[in-house]
Order: sequence, then C-alpha cells, then structure tokens
Amino acid sequence: MKKLMHILFLSCLKATELIEKKLNFQLSWTEKMQLKAHKMMCDACSNYEKQSIFIDKGIAASKKMEFPETDIEQLKELIVQKLENTE
Amino acid sequence: MMSLSKTINLTEWVETYTNELYSWAFYKVSDAELAKDLVQDTFLVAAEKIETFKGESSPKTWLFSILNYKVIDVYRNRVKQPVSMDSNVFSSFFDGDGSWHLDKRPQNWQEEEQHLLDDADFQDVLKKCLEALPEKWNTAVKLKYLTEKNGKEICQELGIAATNLWQIVHRAKLQLRDCIENNWLKK
Repeated sequence: MKKLMHILFLSCLKATELIEKKLNFQLSWTEKMQLKAHKMMCDACSNYEKQSIFIDKGIAASKKMEFPETDIEQLKELIVQKLENTE
Repeated sequence: MMSLSKTINLTEWVETYTNELYSWAFYKVSDAELAKDLVQDTFLVAAEKIETFKGESSPKTWLFSILNYKVIDVYRNRVKQPVSMDSNVFSSFFDGDGSWHLDKRPQNWQEEEQHLLDDADFQDVLKKCLEALPEKWNTAVKLKYLTEKNGKEICQELGIAATNLWQIVHRAKLQLRDCIENNWLKK
C-alpha cells in the first residue's frame, strides 16, 4: 500500500528533491501534479517547501557580508613584484 | 617581451583596480587568501594577454572579465569535490521508504518571514549553519545569488548536469534547514 502511495504521490525524499528541482529548474506536468498531491497530504513537506524558499531569501539578504581586514597596499606591491618577475 | 608603455599601464592598473577586484573576488568566494590569489592571477593573465587588449572595452571591464573566469573555475572545482557525507545524508532524514524520521519532520516555524529576515540573531544562525556545510554544498546553495543566473545557465557554465546540481542543493538544504530549526527555533 505504501509503495503504491509513493508511486502515485511520491515519498517525502522524492517530494523534497522535486521541491529543489522546482526552485532551480522546472517540473514536468506529471511532477507538478505529484508534488501538489503529496503536499496536500503531507504537512512536513509543505513546511519544507515554505522554509526552503525562505532560506533562499535569507541567503540573498545576507550576501553582503563584512570584509576581513586586508592590506590592499601590500597586495598591490606583491602583484607589481610578480609582474616584474614575469617580464 | 613587454613594451615599456604597457608595463607602466599594468602597474597603474594594479594601483587603480586592485581594491575593487579584491572586494569582488572576496564577495564571490568568501575566502580572503583565495581572493588575493585570484586578483594576482588576474593581473598575471592580463600581462600575458596584454596584446589582445585592444582598448575596445575599458581596462576595468577587461580585468573583471578575466577575474570572473577565475571565479567560475573556483565554483566548478568546489561543486565537483567529493563529499564524504553525501551518501548517508538521506538516511539521517528519511527511513528506507523515503518517509521523514519522526524527529526530523520539518516543524511549522510560525514566524513572520520579514521579521525573521531582519532579525540579527536569525541571520547569525543562518550564517553559522551555512559555514557548517561542506564547501561543495555551501557553494551550491549560494550559486543562484553569486552568479545571478538560473539553474540551467549555472549548469552550462560549470559543465555539470542539472540533475547533479539540484541533488547537491537538496542535500545542502536538508542539512541547512535542520540546522536552523535546531539552533534557532529550539533555543
């Protein structure tokens, strides 16, 4: 019975994989229908989808991170030296 | 043999563009030492190929295009790394039938999204959880934002199969989501 359910409505493993596929690529019509049916019956995977989208937003929002202290002048000198050596 | 005028040019470019190139490289690879190496390599490639620079684009555009190639190389190598946790990550979340383990089922977070995104504590947890991921997974979940491209374009650029990419992202997200739930919601 469980096997049949999984074929018709996907396992949670497969459903979450399709959620990631959906967020990065496109689902086929069948995949869309299967995923929709699965989520209607499965709160855990519905939560997963909401949170996965949310995490993506969080990553986008956090992308501007602080720079560590770097000695740019020293880097410039190093590069100029290397350039001179390759001549 | 480089002509004198070109040597002067390049040294000037180092003076003018190193800062911006470095900031960009650091933002793209999140690693200070690696970012420095990339900037250095960019200028070495520029010196080698200076004859092909015809002044049709600005020096800045030309240098950034060299740097961006280097950055893509970094992503390609990271995403192709083998990860030892790869094979057993699913068994820590799902049983043999592919159903969630009871204690791993995603809970309802019951928080306002916008509120969370602005919350410094939440950002902190997210950052720590991202850092806890293997480098390959960390890069995979950030690729969309780092490259500002869609999945298909990313795969073309990195030379990997689409299936491969979303499966890496799947593993990464399972781990990341679980880490956030454990470290933020249950604290």
